[in-house]
Amino acid sequence: MQAAIRIAPADTRDWGRAMAAELTHVEGDWGALMWSLGSAGVLARQALISLIVPGRQGQGVVPDDGLLAKSPTLRNALLTVTGACLLAALFFVASPPFRQAFQVALAPWHALIHHNPQPDFADLARRAGARQDAEGLAFCAIRSRYSWGENVRLADEAVRLDPRLLWVYAVVAMQNPALPETATWVERLKQWDPQNALFYLISARLLKQGRFHEGPPAPEQWQAWQNAMASAFQSAKFDDYLDRVAQITQRVVPRYQLYDPREVDSRTQIDLPHYAFEDSENYARILLADGEKQEAKGDIKTGRERFWSVARFGQLIDSHARTDFERWMGMGLQSAAYERLQASFQKQGDGPQASLFAYLAARFDPGNAPEFPQGSALGMRTAGRNAAVVEMSGLMILIFAGLALAALAIIIAAGRLEGGIVAQRVRPVAIIVGLSSALGILFSTATLYLTYRPYWYIFQSAIQTGDRLPTADLRFFLNDLSAPAGFLPHVLHTLLSALLYSGSPSFLFYVWTGVTLLGIGGLVLIVLRRLRGGPRAHAP
Amino acid sequence: MKTPRLSPETLLVIQKFAERPTDWLYGYELSRVTGLKSGTLYPILMRLERYALLEACWVATEVGVPPRHTYRLTPNGLELAQTKLAEARPRAMVRQPAFCIG
Repeated sequence: MQAAIRIAPADTRDWGRAMAAELTHVEGDWGALMWSLGSAGVLARQALISLIVPGRQGQGVVPDDGLLAKSPTLRNALLTVTGACLLAALFFVASPPFRQAFQVALAPWHALIHHNPQPDFADLARRAGARQDAEGLAFCAIRSRYSWGENVRLADEAVRLDPRLLWVYAVVAMQNPALPETATWVERLKQWDPQNALFYLISARLLKQGRFHEGPPAPEQWQAWQNAMASAFQSAKFDDYLDRVAQITQRVVPRYQLYDPREVDSRTQIDLPHYAFEDSENYARILLADGEKQEAKGDIKTGRERFWSVARFGQLIDSHARTDFERWMGMGLQSAAYERLQASFQKQGDGPQASLFAYLAARFDPGNAPEFPQGSALGMRTAGRNAAVVEMSGLMILIFAGLALAALAIIIAAGRLEGGIVAQRVRPVAIIVGLSSALGILFSTATLYLTYRPYWYIFQSAIQTGDRLPTADLRFFLNDLSAPAGFLPHVLHTLLSALLYSGSPSFLFYVWTGVTLLGIGGLVLIVLRRLRGGPRAHAP
Repeated sequence: MKTPRLSPETLLVIQKFAERPTDWLYGYELSRVTGLKSGTLYPILMRLERYALLEACWVATEVGVPPRHTYRLTPNGLELAQTKLAEARPRAMVRQPAFCIG
């Protein structure tokens, strides 16, 4: 009770002493305890009220700083806590994972404001050009999405400086077969790596590009496409050069100290494009239909050869798959071929062979593969939630920093008006706003650091060891950071993703909302006090 | 005269004061007769005092024991108490038979 009396406003202390004096007469220890707890509660409530609205009850003509004026110790304690929170937040800022996390967290907001969703490689390309760094130029040629013409220039420059990087043409052409340079590049690549099915897939798409959509293809175009696909299906190897991409990434990232994982992990855009699957599926369908037709005619051997050529191509893609998509594509082709083989042996009454192919068809059915997506330890849903939490944490750090700066400016201004009534009225609230903002900064900083930390390790592992297995998590996470159109929809989408992850508002919601409201409410109160401060200053 | 909002607990407190209008009452004594805990009673007393409906003074009781705060209604407080209690009484009387039927 003595402590409660000490923190009570001046006009309430007599009441505190009155309550304390009654303690001597209260019967029983339990009764005395209840009495003192109730009394201390009354005094604490009065102290809190005086802290927020000092002099609200009109007892003091000259308003004071409330609790803080009477207790410099408490004021110093609050300022110390504020400083400690900011210092602790600075420790996070000093760590590389946090700096990367903050950069990643603000990227969607930056993209939203500047309508620029992709990282800009222009600066990196300039630096690599100045250093005559072939790998740096190749890195930019593969990842930049702003100008295909610029990508071609960068790829040409990289190959000119280091002819061993010829494969860069394949990666650039794979992403955009419609480039005028594609045909020339593919011919060079076929000589350089003759057994690779990738070039035939690109050629097939080049034949199809912009021609089949204009109407039925001419017979010779159709035949040329079929020939290209037949060559792809008969190829002895498949390499999309993602291993080489990973190798130059390992070297370029530390060389240029790239911290934005979006610059590094653009593998969803470098993966085998969807057209390769579409063309492969279409050609496989043609082969399977032809095989069934041959079987119907009685030419079982030719029919099965057609089925086997599809299965072999599926095996080729599956065994060289670097991505989930490639693996999925390879498995799908195999499964379809094994189904036909099973039916073929079934018709011939070869039960054991039919059972074997039935097993294989089920084994390679992509729908039965529970481990998809491969390499994801945390899962897509967690990645989505983490992306939203990271985004919100970055935004909240900025909001709290703004509140803290406003509070600091008010405290400094109040210090210059030392002794003024307005200064006395606003300073305690500004201290509280500063404290709540510092707490908010520390909380959001810690949340951002802890949420992003696994992705930092994935990033480091991918860069340093070339281990790409867990990069699916990083990829899902980065994909979820993409911004929907419009600021408000994006804020709502992010907020709901972050808060309703488990079906109900989480702890984050209460902290962010509470601290933000406290800070903003404090600033509003300061403004109101400033407005009220003038007339009261002249009161007798 | 500006008057505070009179909750049922406040009415109870001023009723106890009004029953002994000239006596000075102690906080603990009031707590016992009203059944209100200190956390409820003292805010009521503070509010009544702020509106000048209650006067308080310190009295020394015995040696070695801290002086105690005592309270009684001011003339304004007594007038308000009589008015409010008079208003409350007919309502209670009307209500009473309805509960007694049957």
